[in-house]
Amino acid sequence: MRYICTCCGYIYDPEKGDPLNEIAAGTPFEDLPDAWVCPLCYAEQDSFDPLD
Amino acid sequence: MIGDLASLYQAIELKQEIPPLLIGERANPNGSRKFRDLLLADDFDGCLQVGLEQESRGAQVIDLCVAYAGRDEKSDLPRLVEKFAGSLKAGLMIDSTDPDCIEASLKLYPGRCVINSINLEDGGANLDRICRLARRYGAAVVALTIDESGMAMTAADKVELVERIYHLAVDQYGLRPQDLLFDPLTFTIGSGDTTLFDAGIQTLEAIREIKRRWPDVATLLGVSNISFGLQPAVRKIINSVFLHEAVEAGLDAAIVDAAKVMPLAQISAEDRNVCLDLIYDRERSEEDTPLMRLMAYFSDHQGESEEEAEHGSVPAEEEIRRKLVRGDRDGLEDLLTILLQRYPALEIVNRLLVPAMREVGDLFGRGELLLPFVLQSAEVMKRSVAFLEEFMEQDAESGKQTRILLATVQGDVHDIGKNLVDIILTNNGYKVYNIGIKVPAETIIAKAREHEVDVIGLSGLLVKSAIIMQQSMPQYQEAGLTMPILLGGAALTRSFVAESCVPGYTSPVVYCADAFAGLKAIREYEQGCLASTRTAAAVPVRNRPGPKEAIDSSHDVPSVPFWGRRVVRDIDPEQLFSYLNRQALIRGRWGYRRAKLSKEEYARLLSETVDPLYARLKQRLLDEHLLQPQVVYGYFPCRSEADSLLVNADSELFRFDFPRQVLAPNLCIADYFKGGESAQDLVGFFVVTIGEQLAELTAELFRDDQYHDYLMVHGLGVELTDALAEYWHQQMRAEMGFPDPQGQGELEYVTQEYRGSRYGFGYPACPDLEAHRPLFAMLRPEEIGVSLTETLEMVPEMSTSAIVAHHPQAKYFAI
Repeated sequence: MRYICTCCGYIYDPEKGDPLNEIAAGTPFEDLPDAWVCPLCYAEQDSFDPLD
Repeated sequence: MIGDLASLYQAIELKQEIPPLLIGERANPNGSRKFRDLLLADDFDGCLQVGLEQESRGAQVIDLCVAYAGRDEKSDLPRLVEKFAGSLKAGLMIDSTDPDCIEASLKLYPGRCVINSINLEDGGANLDRICRLARRYGAAVVALTIDESGMAMTAADKVELVERIYHLAVDQYGLRPQDLLFDPLTFTIGSGDTTLFDAGIQTLEAIREIKRRWPDVATLLGVSNISFGLQPAVRKIINSVFLHEAVEAGLDAAIVDAAKVMPLAQISAEDRNVCLDLIYDRERSEEDTPLMRLMAYFSDHQGESEEEAEHGSVPAEEEIRRKLVRGDRDGLEDLLTILLQRYPALEIVNRLLVPAMREVGDLFGRGELLLPFVLQSAEVMKRSVAFLEEFMEQDAESGKQTRILLATVQGDVHDIGKNLVDIILTNNGYKVYNIGIKVPAETIIAKAREHEVDVIGLSGLLVKSAIIMQQSMPQYQEAGLTMPILLGGAALTRSFVAESCVPGYTSPVVYCADAFAGLKAIREYEQGCLASTRTAAAVPVRNRPGPKEAIDSSHDVPSVPFWGRRVVRDIDPEQLFSYLNRQALIRGRWGYRRAKLSKEEYARLLSETVDPLYARLKQRLLDEHLLQPQVVYGYFPCRSEADSLLVNADSELFRFDFPRQVLAPNLCIADYFKGGESAQDLVGFFVVTIGEQLAELTAELFRDDQYHDYLMVHGLGVELTDALAEYWHQQMRAEMGFPDPQGQGELEYVTQEYRGSRYGFGYPACPDLEAHRPLFAMLRPEEIGVSLTETLEMVPEMSTSAIVAHHPQAKYFAI
């Protein structure tokens, strides 16, 4: 499931991962490291909301 | 069979041998939650079921309305008309104001139906089209006594309007009198509104007069309006008594919930008399109105009637809990009046209201209640307490209430977060001293002593505010304060508070992520178990990402249409809405998150609540001219020198010093501009504002305890300010020669699918506000009403500034 940052609108798509932060494609949102924050606005993970 | 209606299966007489003709009202998304849910789920079979159920309970005609925000009436109405026509023996009443929808439905309906409705609200344009349709397709028509000046209140006005419409419909459009159903409307006599005491009398008199003067027409009434605002169980009795009186006066048809019409025989003589007193406004004096007598009477007689038990009426204690949790203020004062006969006011607050608010807090904590709904609950709480206050002994409680001082720290003008904490704490029964924004530590110390507070809560949005909190801890310590200090704000983190703030102060220093964390901390304080925030065992190093490749400074320098600064004022406010980041607005600022909802439930929340809210606020902001978008911007020659940017403006050199990332890739804004003695590059700057009016409105909403709208308007304002920045950045890209491709939208803006970047001062790439000094000297934004505070923050709050870099590699990053 994709998650959206409620602060800036960035969408974390597990199919793509987050190459900027060395998050491999295929990583579910739930498995992101605790330190991972929104790559655009740096909001923490509890600012993310399920998208679909 | 003149004047009759017909379904596919039978003829129905408008004037029944035993009146009234019962018209079922539940197939209406605005009146029935169940029908609305079915409609929104595209469950048309379910919608039909609602019609069939009413038929089985005695409805002879079914009113069908499908007009609802987010739905397409033009496709829904004909579809359901066809379905209803095929299955219902009852007649059909097409409830729509759209002549196109009505026509499409009339074409499909095999019998003779009723159109609901015409009136003279618009002077007669709609009436003209609908009457022609009625004549052409052979339908009866409901006419409401409404004209340009609104709904007719007195019998004389109602009758006068009937005369006007009768004349038009019969003499001009050739409808037969038998085809007309006049609805003289009624208003509630259950609200205590002194101008409506005789609303029932006026309506009954109008019915009598209409029947006397135009014996051929039929009369119709939406009966249940008479008791709006009262408890459901009581409403049912009044509605039934009033219906009986209306039929006596000559009423032919009634729009009702057929299941809720009680035979008069089932109503005791005593019950009936109390209702009749209210309907006919009998024996009224200042201190003893029929309404007071009725409410007192039914609060004593609750549960006596078998009917009530059958329909699951709940005790007032449970009902008030539900009202708070649901944020439902309908009939609140009546309910509290009933409770006041059972408990002292203070006990209602402490034993019923406060526990209900705790439940609200718990639901929010579990992600089962969203912030906007919490605020609606708080509004109900506030209203309840305000209503009960006059029944409380003075200062009955102030002695033992926990006292909390709230302030936004020095140099910070943001107060939404602090005010949300105020709302939540106040409405959980605490005494809050909210001493405002930009409060220096000295004032906080003085006020904490003056009010003898038990806890201090500090707030601040800026990165700088976090630093100020850290620096002021020793000050509070030296001043000898011993009360716990709660800290909250966007730039704070648990570990920052634990590592940088806790060591400076002996008593507990506690990080609060939101208003409810604040509430939890206050409870822990009361229980004696509040402790300083501690860092989690192993704190991972936070990533601070940014582009990692080396910056290529061989980029070309765009040409621009002018050098220097310009002021822009002719911006259409409506345009800003198309640059809004709707996700950030709805899920972030407003708190309408999906959280634990299913995809379908969330879609429904959006279409039923959020979209209409957005449309309403947008309309209000535009209609009342609450937005005054203004921009001052410019292009200037520049070059970089290490971490600084040297900018030429008006033959003066301005220096901007930017911070550099401590860790790799060690980015700094200055790196995106060509460096060296002879280097020449271009930099853009802007300051934008949506003006002060919206801030005034938000302040007003907070003062008036309209918490929900306060959060909504404030959030919309902040996002519209960002939208204006987005819009102007786009304009500047176009002026620099790289306009956005067609079809660029919200998502592309979020991910910066354009050349270059803009960095706001006070934000992650440049947290320091020092850059505002040279910026304001160059752009002089005072001309558009934006100035700086002594701590270099912009006022009005809904303003934003940025440096615009055109370098293709420039993207957001954080220090």
